[in-house]
Amino acid sequence: MSESSSTVVSRPAGRRSAPAEGGARIELVALTKRYPGQSEPAVDDVSMDIAAGELVMLLGPSGCGKTTTMKMINRLIEPTSGHVLINGEDVLRLDPAELRRRIGYVIQQIGLFPHLTIAENIGLVPRLLGWKAVTIAARVDELLELVGLDPSAYRGRYPRQLSGGQQQRVGVARALAADPPVMLMDEPFGATDPITREHLQTEFHKLQRELRKTIVFVTHDFDEALRLGDRIAVLRERSVIAQFDTPERILSAPADEYVAGFVGSAAAIRRSGLTTVDDALRHIALAPPGDDSGGLSVSGEDTVRDAIDAMLRNGRDRIHVTDRDGAVLGSLDFTRICELWARAGQPGGRDVG
Amino acid sequence: MSADTLGTSSAARPGRRWSRGQLARHLVTPAALAVVLLALYLWVSGQELDSIEARVLDAGAIGDATLRHLKLTAIASLLIVAIAMPLGILLTRPRARWITPVALAAANMGQAAPALGVLVIMAMLFSIGQTVAIAALVVTAILPVLRNTIIGIQQVDRSLVEAAFGMGLTPGQVLRKIELPLAVPVMLAGLRTTIVLSVGVATVATFVNAGGLGDIIVAGIKTTRTPILLTGAVLTTVVAFALDWLAGVLEHSVRPRGL
Ligand SMILES: Nc1ncnc2c1ncn2[C@@H]1O[C@H](COP(=O)(O)OP(=O)(O)OP(=O)(O)O)[C@@H](O)[C@H]1O
Ligand SMILES: [Mg+2]
Repeated sequence: MSESSSTVVSRPAGRRSAPAEGGARIELVALTKRYPGQSEPAVDDVSMDIAAGELVMLLGPSGCGKTTTMKMINRLIEPTSGHVLINGEDVLRLDPAELRRRIGYVIQQIGLFPHLTIAENIGLVPRLLGWKAVTIAARVDELLELVGLDPSAYRGRYPRQLSGGQQQRVGVARALAADPPVMLMDEPFGATDPITREHLQTEFHKLQRELRKTIVFVTHDFDEALRLGDRIAVLRERSVIAQFDTPERILSAPADEYVAGFVGSAAAIRRSGLTTVDDALRHIALAPPGDDSGGLSVSGEDTVRDAIDAMLRNGRDRIHVTDRDGAVLGSLDFTRICELWARAGQPGGRDVG
Repeated sequence: MSADTLGTSSAARPGRRWSRGQLARHLVTPAALAVVLLALYLWVSGQELDSIEARVLDAGAIGDATLRHLKLTAIASLLIVAIAMPLGILLTRPRARWITPVALAAANMGQAAPALGVLVIMAMLFSIGQTVAIAALVVTAILPVLRNTIIGIQQVDRSLVEAAFGMGLTPGQVLRKIELPLAVPVMLAGLRTTIVLSVGVATVATFVNAGGLGDIIVAGIKTTRTPILLTGAVLTTVVAFALDWLAGVLEHSVRPRGL
């Protein structure tokens, strides 16, 4: 895409490919938590099946029980009733410390240990697992690279010598240290400004496409849920599931008023941000290139939203679509975009993307 | 050098333990104490001492009293560390938390009670001598270490503890690797207070025949000889300041980097 690409963060294409066997299946079975002295349970009879390698977003308002639900998976909170199964194994039968070493955990407050260096923070769990010092050192460097921090500059620093965004990267690296099949992330990018946050989200998303962990990710930011989630569980009070579905389905077919409230206005625009041009071309054909595009172009990995945005901003009703080498394949115009929505966007119809 | 500039220079390089400003600050106290001792020596040697004064202010006798004083303080402080630190740690464990207020109240009473009173009562109950003096010291000076051990562990950010458990550390590992290192500065500050307190309280050990600098002070009062009284008082103060300084240096050296 030409000039406006830097301002639009698109979701990388092809993320719906079948999950590899990087993760483990998680099942929540009639999970309930009642805190002592409270009349209402904080989590009420929640069941959920999360496939191996899937990234599930728990989305809901403050106090609805997202954190409580998540902490029952690694037994930081013991359920009052119900079960959590990881690859079919009941976590209540496992030793809590051993269980937790196999589950990466990122907390909202980041929680880096201030008296340990970045390398020591990341290497803590591998050390508990008895890895050799050289193996740990190599792993630390590998992880720092993975989250975009130069190992030679950062491994010896202390947490307070890092910015908030850098600390959050280290928090993610630390959770990944022992290569756990499951990750629990409680608003991991919450404490940063919107720009850093979007940046971290994009990088994290790229990472997850490679790693294919099973991830439970808590957020109350709808856009974050859309951007990252394979599926989103929209939660009501007491963690009751209002809808558990793909971002596209939640946008195109919200189950009820409550879910629609999260979607808010501009659902179609948001959906167009989830749909790449390549996806769109599976539903519609391109128009001939024409000569009135004013030099605007998008490529297959850009989203339909990028295309609409560029057209609106430049006052054109047509934009060229190019292949990887920059050769013009044809053009996209508003008529074709409307057609795309008519074909793919009906509730119950096939998802766009 | 102001405290402000010291603060920023250490913040700029947390990897380095001793900045130049901190070194300078740590050298001020010993220098000042040396000056005080020298002044005392010059003043006393300028006096014409009568036979009583000459006997008490003999270098050997003063040295013995000072060593005795240091020994009382050291043994009491070590005992306090051995008792109060494990006890304090125990009192922060979830299962024992309910006893914490009781233990703190008891230690508070020990500190609030007049040291001399505690000493006399214990001497009446048991016997006189060094053991009773040390026991009384432990009772009166245990509170700061106990309280600061508890507070030091309690003030560790709960989210760090939770992160540690969430990563798979066992309760023992959380204590050793996270809670204790982060509590060390506060715990050592308590030890420092205890040591200074013990130096002062140890002056009453003379009343149960346990020696120390109290001997010199009491001799000065009984004989109304100013040089004797002054020497005893100044020496006690210098010992207190010197130990406070030593504990401060220790505190600084073992404080975890990165804090
Ligand atoms: N340790 C606890 N003891 C008693 N009640 C608790 C405890 N922890 C949470 N709760 C209550 O349980 C409910 C759910 O809390 P939880 O922390 O799971 O919410 P959340 O969805 O994560 O909210 P937020 O988005 O603000 O983090 C809240 O009403 C809260 O007050
Ligand atoms: Mg929460």
